[in-house]
Amino acid sequence: MSEVKVDKTLDVCGKICPYPDMNTMTTLKKMEKGQILEVLLDYPLSVERIPRNLKKQGHKLISTEQLDGPNHRMLIEAHGLK
Amino acid sequence: MEAVMTGLFVGILFGFVLQRGRFCMNSAFRDAILLKDNVLLKTVFVALLVEMVGFAIMDSAGAIAINPKPFWWGANLLGSFVFGIGMVLAGGCASGITYRFGEGMVGAMTAVLGLAVGGYFTAAGFLKPFKANLQAATTIPGADDGALTLHGILGMDYTVLAIIIVLIALVVWFFIARANKEKYEADPGWGWVNTGILVGIVGILAFPLSAAAGRNYPLGITAGWINIVQVIFTGATFNWIGMLIVGVVVGGLIAALISKEFKFRVPKPLVLLQTFIGGLLMGFGAVTSGGCNIGHLLSGIPQLSLGSILAGISIVLGAWVASYVMFVLPQKKEQ
Repeated sequence: MSEVKVDKTLDVCGKICPYPDMNTMTTLKKMEKGQILEVLLDYPLSVERIPRNLKKQGHKLISTEQLDGPNHRMLIEAHGLK
Repeated sequence: MEAVMTGLFVGILFGFVLQRGRFCMNSAFRDAILLKDNVLLKTVFVALLVEMVGFAIMDSAGAIAINPKPFWWGANLLGSFVFGIGMVLAGGCASGITYRFGEGMVGAMTAVLGLAVGGYFTAAGFLKPFKANLQAATTIPGADDGALTLHGILGMDYTVLAIIIVLIALVVWFFIARANKEKYEADPGWGWVNTGILVGIVGILAFPLSAAAGRNYPLGITAGWINIVQVIFTGATFNWIGMLIVGVVVGGLIAALISKEFKFRVPKPLVLLQTFIGGLLMGFGAVTSGGCNIGHLLSGIPQLSLGSILAGISIVLGAWVASYVMFVLPQKKEQ
């Protein structure tokens, strides 16, 4: 897979439930259609829950990559304002 | 082997299942309004139905004698409402913060500390008279001065009513799912059906083992943390529920190590203070109401205790009010 150009990075490592999800969603809401958000997170529940909720908001999950341990890197394409 | 050691065994199983299944009632209730995500809520329902079937069969077979909690409407309402607010602040329910302790989440450790302290002072400290008076003043006993239960009110056999409720729930669920054209979507993890069934099985297993150790009740969390406080500070011995908690932490740790998810995660100091205060409220609320989300919701509702049903509703309401104020309102202001 060719490397995607990241427009914005959000680091929610160490944050407690539900901030990883909420910060991701509110950041995506402010982004333009097609922009790419990189999310760095280490909370397993959110790694499984964020993809479910992205779909509902129309955002597109490009990839979820496990780094080391619970650390994950998620790439998401923003849907933009409706 | 001492009878309390089975608590450790059940606890390890419970912690493992909670960690791998990502089971959390705080998320379950909060997400339903905040993220419009009801996957964990469905897990809770599955666990309740599985337990109800297990308890009903074991009770009629004489393997257990159900022991529903009493109905203290004032204490149930107030205590559980405060508990619900507390768990949103703490970032997890009583079982959630306990297994995340094992995962290395420092915010969960401070929450647990709050839960143990708040629980201890309400059970045996300066808040004890308040709790005892509220419980006594708002008690409505059932028949023969026993606990007020759904089957008691209806004059039915427990097993019969439990099975009827499970069957009705399954039929209603089937039609709701069909009306919503819901398809079962597998989660990346264990999936909500499997997690719910496994949590239910651990709850069923807990009942006779705990009873054999002299504590006639299935799973609980808060009383176990209070026992640990007493072991450390007053030289008390471990009881079954205390051993269960040690097991949940160890089980969470083992599951996190196996899945390479163990990591010390330290939030900001202000967040640590927030989860500690949340824990204090949870401890006060759980002891006042006579149970936390596990003692009342997971273990008490399947026994059809009216107190547990009221406590369960109150926990959900408290969680919703706190979630609305903490998360929904700030979002609305921003828009």
